[in-house]
Order: sequence, then C-alpha cells, then structure tokens
Amino acid sequence: MARARDVEGLDPHTPFARAAARAVSVRAEELFEHSADVLDTQDIERVHDMRVATRRLRAVLEIFAPCFPADQHRPVLKDVKRLADALGARRDPDVQLEALDRLAAVVRKVEGPGLEAFAVRLRAEQEAGNETLAAALQEARTGALAERLRALVAAAQRSADEAEAQADEDATALDGDRADTGTGKPGDGDIRVADEEPVTA
Amino acid sequence: MKAKKVKGLDPETPLADNARRIVQTRLDEVHRFTPRALDPRRVEELHDMRIAAKRLRYVLEVTAHCFGPYADTARKRTKELQDVIGEIHDCDVLAPRVDALLSELRSADAQAILQRAGGADDLEPRLATRGPNATRYRGLQALAAWLQARRALLHDRFLELWSRWGRDAVKARLEYALEEHPAVS
Repeated sequence: MARARDVEGLDPHTPFARAAARAVSVRAEELFEHSADVLDTQDIERVHDMRVATRRLRAVLEIFAPCFPADQHRPVLKDVKRLADALGARRDPDVQLEALDRLAAVVRKVEGPGLEAFAVRLRAEQEAGNETLAAALQEARTGALAERLRALVAAAQRSADEAEAQADEDATALDGDRADTGTGKPGDGDIRVADEEPVTA
Repeated sequence: MKAKKVKGLDPETPLADNARRIVQTRLDEVHRFTPRALDPRRVEELHDMRIAAKRLRYVLEVTAHCFGPYADTARKRTKELQDVIGEIHDCDVLAPRVDALLSELRSADAQAILQRAGGADDLEPRLATRGPNATRYRGLQALAAWLQARRALLHDRFLELWSRWGRDAVKARLEYALEEHPAVS
C-alpha cells in the first residue's frame, strides 16, 4: 500500500483554511497519480493504491469541510465518494479472488471444484467491477473532477489570504492607535472606544 | 455510520486548535462501540468501530505533527486496530456468500434429482450423488469452515489489541498529547 505523502509546510499555527488548501492539493495529486493503468486486472495493487488515495482525499475533504464554499464542496465530495465506491466494486472481488487462489493452491484435489465454482462467480464480479470503475473514471474526467478540486483549493487559499490581509490591516490599525496614545505599549488602547479620549488611571 | 459533526471549527484559527476538536471527537467515536463490539456476535457494532478507527487514523495522518509525540504512536495503534477489524469484516462479507452458493447448488441438485426420478413413487438412494453439483460441496464446505476459523482467530487478535489499547492507556495518552504543543521548526 502506498504511504501517504507528507503535506509539507503545515505547522500547528498554520491557519485551518491554508492547511485545508495544502492537504487537499496533495491528496488530490496522489489520487490522480494512482489512476494510471488502474483497469489492469493483472496488477491488483493499482486499484488498491488508488482506493486508499481516494479514502485519504475524502478524509481531508471531510476534515476541512468548513474551509470550502459549501456549494462547491458538496458535489465534489459526492463525486469522490462515487469514485471510491466504484474502486470498491473492483477491489472487493480482487481481494477475495486472491485469498481463494492461495487456498486453492494448498487444498486437496477433491476440494478444487467447489473453490472453482466460487471463483467463477468472483471473476464475473471483478469484470463487472472493472466496467463500473471504467464508467466512474470517465465520469470523473467529463465532470472535470480534477479542475473542481483545484477550484476548491484556490477558494480555501483565497479565504486564508483574505483573513491574513484583514489581520495585518487590523494589526496596523492597532499600531496606529498605540502610536496616537504616545506610549506604544501593548494594551494601551484596549479600553478605548472610537472618538473617545484615552482612559487614564 | 455517519460521522458526528464537530462543532466550533473555524477556518481562520490555527490548524492545531481545530484538529484537537476533530481528533477528540473521532477518538470518542472509536470508544463509543465498546463493550458491545467486543462480543463476536455484534457484527454491525464492530463494522462501525472499524469506520470510526479509519476516521481517527486519517485525521491523525494529517495532523499528528501538531501535537505531542504520542499522537503518531496513537495513529499507528489505530491503524493496527483498523486493519484487524477490516480482515474480520472481509470474513463477515464472504462467509454468508459461500453459504448462499452452497444452498443455491443444493437446491439446483434437488431439482435435478427430482427430474431424474421421473414419476417414481420414491427416490432411489443412488440418486443422492448424481446431482450436477455433487463434486462442489466439499470445497465450499472447506472454505466456509476456514472462514469461520479465521474469523474466530482474528477476533481473538482484535480482543488482544483492544485490551492492550486499554492497558497502554492509548486514549488518555492521546488526549494528553493533544494538549502538548511541539516546537515549530
């Protein structure tokens, strides 16, 4: 299983919205990196890696939900879930067939036909799962999922930039107020209201 | 299982403040299903506990660095828990399907034997082995028994992991780590 990539540049003080933009950006990249040759049933690890990447992306979309515009976030999350379900439809028979193959390799000859009867069923499900997955991948492409994820990241980034600009502006105004009082000490203007003289002891 | 909504999250406040609330909520969710999930018959509760563990693991994957060092240990312990419950879940999904196929084949054989009997007053004993699926039962029965045994073994491992979770005070130590602030490099 692919290890989750570290989300660089996050520290405990990073504003939540900025962390959201970074985390979703990294997890979305991981998802699309793992989408190559995912329909190849000879290499079942590809589906597994992409499924795990989908879960991780879904997780950060849920964790950081308040940082995104709800009307953009909701449909993206829904599409990621749909993709995860389609990957599950392929992955479940993959895993079951693998376990059955391991068992079939060691059982007595007399037990072979029964295991094969079950394997036939699982192979049909694997094929159907692959078709479901192909359709979901196509839907992700036509629905511009990658672009919509980028738009979500940009929206969170913008809101973090605006909040920081506002905080800088407030700090500058506060510095100006302190300078007006002449002391410049923190808290000097704390108990003043607009157009009022400084309260002195 | 629907995740509990985490209240008080604020996009403008630091990651650590928000992450602390989320981790605490997800940690409580993992514990919510015990002791019921410890009963091998409570399949649904165990499944919900697996989902809760998965949510806790993924939030720690992104935010453990915001807290004390035990947060990363708790992430690993949560993954162990999630993995073993996941394997139990695989057995729980597969076992009834094997039983269903056995039952389906048996019904098809019964039908075929009946047809072979024609209009006879009673069935000849030798027809018992003449069903088209007669050679398939043994493998499926072996598979069903193997799944049942594996499920029992994995459940014992889960109980052992959960008991270690309690002994090592994972919950209390993670809660303590949530209040620790690592130095920013």
